[in-house]
Amino acid sequence: MAYKKPSQKFSGKIREVTVGSGLKLGGESVLPFYKFDGDTGAKPAVGMEIWDVFPESWPQSLKDIFGPYADDPVKWAKFCVEKYNPDFICIKFEGANPEGDDRSPEDCARIAERLAGEVPVPLVIAGCDSDEKNAKVFTKVAEALPDKNYVFLSAIEANYKEIGAACGMAYGNIVSAESSVDLNLAKQLNILITQLGVKPEKMVMNPGCAAVGYGFEYVVTTMDRIKLAALDQNDSTLQMPIISPVSFETWKAKEAIATEEDMPEWGGQEERGIAMEVSTAAGVLAAGSNAVILRHPKSVEVIRKFIDELL
Amino acid sequence: MARFITIGERIHVISPVIRKALQERDPKPIIERAREQVEAGANYLDVNIGPADRDGEELMPWVVKLLQQEFPNTPLCLDTANTKALEAGIKVYDRKAGKPIINSADAGSRIGMIDLAAEYDAMVIGLCAKEGIPRDNDERIQYCTEILDRAMAAGLDPENILFDPLFVVVKGMQDKQQEVLEALRQITEMGFKTTGGLSNVSNGCPKELRGLIEATFCAMAIQCGLTSAIVNPLNKMLMDIIKTADVIKGRNLYCDSYLEL
Repeated sequence: MAYKKPSQKFSGKIREVTVGSGLKLGGESVLPFYKFDGDTGAKPAVGMEIWDVFPESWPQSLKDIFGPYADDPVKWAKFCVEKYNPDFICIKFEGANPEGDDRSPEDCARIAERLAGEVPVPLVIAGCDSDEKNAKVFTKVAEALPDKNYVFLSAIEANYKEIGAACGMAYGNIVSAESSVDLNLAKQLNILITQLGVKPEKMVMNPGCAAVGYGFEYVVTTMDRIKLAALDQNDSTLQMPIISPVSFETWKAKEAIATEEDMPEWGGQEERGIAMEVSTAAGVLAAGSNAVILRHPKSVEVIRKFIDELL
Repeated sequence: MARFITIGERIHVISPVIRKALQERDPKPIIERAREQVEAGANYLDVNIGPADRDGEELMPWVVKLLQQEFPNTPLCLDTANTKALEAGIKVYDRKAGKPIINSADAGSRIGMIDLAAEYDAMVIGLCAKEGIPRDNDERIQYCTEILDRAMAAGLDPENILFDPLFVVVKGMQDKQQEVLEALRQITEMGFKTTGGLSNVSNGCPKELRGLIEATFCAMAIQCGLTSAIVNPLNKMLMDIIKTADVIKGRNLYCDSYLEL
């Protein structure tokens, strides 16, 4: 009997969400990279992270690359776009942290406006460690940039009402629903945000991210189960594309920040940092992430190649 | 695993309001009944026009078009013994929301409905009965097999059949309840989908007990494998139990708001 290639068909499909004016996320009706089974949707997007302040805490190797441009976010973003061609720029308002520079929401909005005006790729707006401050910053930024379809990273259980109402509803941008590696809460938060009135096509989700070796198995199994519920059970509350802020996690890990003097047996610090970022990004992409945020240009290059060769 | 399917039973010629509306081609009462069921979460709507010997061929397409126009996302279950009326209904049926279900074939005089389902690529309820209520489960499984044979001959994928072991009334046939549940288990073990009319179970009981009896029977039947049922969707307890059973069965991912969906 002739061999008949099996293929797995699902009744569900990840919703296609447009970021900015033309960057599409999601749309797949098969497991990640299973192009032999059907439509893999839009290619996973690769974005680069920049800060609103000089990234003093970043490892020297990154400061060597971005340092000359990092005194101004617009200059920094343009350098990234021109040199490394990312699909989007993620501006993280680290300077808004009340325990740091405490930059005002109005100031943040002005920076975001300049970026929007001068950077040709879509923006992802990320906040600092204060959920309360983020709600204020996001509201102002969304107000300054209405109907841009920019992604706001993220709304969590504590501030989703404010962020959902401002970013998702009043000012026509995209809300990312963030939960910390909790399958049931991921679903619940999506429901709460849609019940608020945010349209599902104006939503993405970040069901939690971690660096490899730091509870990463939980991240992967959570993402797997979300994708299976979305596809196999056709669960419309989980059919949002997933965005993973990989760099936020991997560049905090000791493998990325320990210097060669401190850990001579671990080898070169820059290579370690890239390896952490690349393996984490490859892992979340294989588990269903539709967009990853990265820092190191080498990681961007490797992950882009990884995606291109698999699709 | 797919979620439990509910088929709303409230558009039925036995109701005087619906009978009159069907006779007079009055859309309003029919749409009202459809709306309350859709809003209560019915996945399918059963449309029972009775035998409709006189005008079934004209009546069924009318009601199909009426409902699909108003509720394009809700597939229908066409319920009549009148083959010509069924055919006419299926011909105008829009499949966007899902295949129509024919209600129903049996192993007796209505076995031809299997051929009809095959011809029109419809789903069909296969009543495991021939004349009256089956005597025991040997008979039920025998009829189930006869329906399957007919489906094989007609080229109908058994995926398209919902086997109905024939739920029976608790008040009077109390000793048969476990047998029906056991039949569900056997049909499920054969790998087939099942359904049944829950109101059969509570028929003749006081109104305040009917909802409870139907909900309890349904929960027990789901554990035996029941994959769909013909229900009164306005019975909130029943609908909540079905949703909860889907969660416990792992057919729907739990979240705190699962009842609100």
